[in-house]
Amino acid sequence: MTIIHIQGLRKRYGPVTAVDDLSFDVQPGTVTGFLGPNGAGKTTTLRMLLGLVAPDAGTATVNGLSYGDLPEPLHQDGAVLEASSFHPGRTARAHLRIQALAADVDQSRIEDVLDLVGLADAAGRRVGGFSLGMRQRLGLATALLADPEVLILDEPANGLDPEGIRWLRGLLRGFAAEGGTVLVSSHMLAEVAQTIESVVIIDRGHLLAQGSVAALTANGNDLEEAFFQLTREAVR
Amino acid sequence: MTRLVRIELLKLTSTRLTYGLLATSVGLTVLWTVLEASRAGQPNGPAALTGSAGQTSIITGGVWGLILAAVLGVTISSGEFRHHTATLTYLAVPSRTRVLAAKGAAGGIAGAVFGLAGYAVTLTVGLIFVGAHGYHLAIGAGTLADWGLGHLVGAALLGVIGVVVGSLIRSQLAAVIGVFVWTIIIESLIGGLFGSVRPYLPYTAATALAGTPLGSASFGPSRGVSGVVPLPFAAATALLAAIAVAGALVAARTTIRRDVS
Repeated sequence: MTIIHIQGLRKRYGPVTAVDDLSFDVQPGTVTGFLGPNGAGKTTTLRMLLGLVAPDAGTATVNGLSYGDLPEPLHQDGAVLEASSFHPGRTARAHLRIQALAADVDQSRIEDVLDLVGLADAAGRRVGGFSLGMRQRLGLATALLADPEVLILDEPANGLDPEGIRWLRGLLRGFAAEGGTVLVSSHMLAEVAQTIESVVIIDRGHLLAQGSVAALTANGNDLEEAFFQLTREAVR
Repeated sequence: MTRLVRIELLKLTSTRLTYGLLATSVGLTVLWTVLEASRAGQPNGPAALTGSAGQTSIITGGVWGLILAAVLGVTISSGEFRHHTATLTYLAVPSRTRVLAAKGAAGGIAGAVFGLAGYAVTLTVGLIFVGAHGYHLAIGAGTLADWGLGHLVGAALLGVIGVVVGSLIRSQLAAVIGVFVWTIIIESLIGGLFGSVRPYLPYTAATALAGTPLGSASFGPSRGVSGVVPLPFAAATALLAAIAVAGALVAARTTIRRDVS
């Protein structure tokens, strides 16, 4: 059983092939790392999965449906794609009020997620004055608002301080422990290695490896060494 | 759809830009109306306030409410790309045509508020000037009510057209400048050069709905042009609605289908 299914996904931007015949699955209840160097096609893949970018070929589904066909998308997928996707003149609470209305969840949930991400004291401040780390936390609050089954996160640790990174690690583990599924892209290999159980590695739009972290590191390499070995071989 | 429109209205009321545009609209309308009323009866000024012609040109001069309604409409749609909030909007509502429709409705509602505020200002200032000079009000209550409805409908439709323009031209700055250039310069030039086309220009049609005499809401060369009849209420409404629908169909088939990356 898979919850996220990517099959033959392809996307070109002019002469550049961002994603090329990419296929992988994500199992429910796991934290899966989606790894690759800059420009590997991670963000494009996640945006195709979320219906924001139209693929040239292939399919990307959650629970067997493309994102646009999900009856209540925010209740199934929570996503953090970029830390700058907030109106700078809006307060954090006003932003969440809009998202709560969009997700059709009770407004009381806003205070819950603000507490969860540690932004309760900053809720009345305009987002334009937020640090990158605070924006990441607000993004996570937005993603968690409708209590989704799946979290799709693009570089969520960017801008977080060490305490924030530790908090994020606990949040993702706790989410998966309660049956949720996490697909998290990152280029911070040492950090992500402490959180994920499964991994999908891509480079130049191609799949290099997929499986458990344990299997990938069975020969004694750590995740970082395994990653560089795979990407070096791909270059050859 | 009601929830989507509420979302868009909540977005509007949760930023200072909306209130700033409304304040700008009211401020410019007060300034414009006071200047025009002060020049009434003078050479090159509006007709004297003693009669209905002069009173009409002052009381129906809430044109900044119409223009700023279109500007607000532009910010409703193009603001999503300027601030990268389109990502969250389309994650919540993947159907982009439904989002466009909701934005159009919100632009219409907010535009109506701008139009009514503009009319309230011009009516108040006009009545103050007429009363201060001890003149008799030469316009009936029914006509005043019609002009109020016209300001509402004209500004609402320009608000919707603004949303469509902002969807077609994602650059907010370019689209806002485009609205001002179109209403203040291009319509004035076209209206001045080709008088027969003038009633069919969108901003001019919106001012016709508001009861503004042809030319008195114009800027530059078309201000003095006469001899052309403005469109009747129903025709002007139909024209503006057709422009909004045609633009929305083009946007639905082109720009709003683009990748959000």
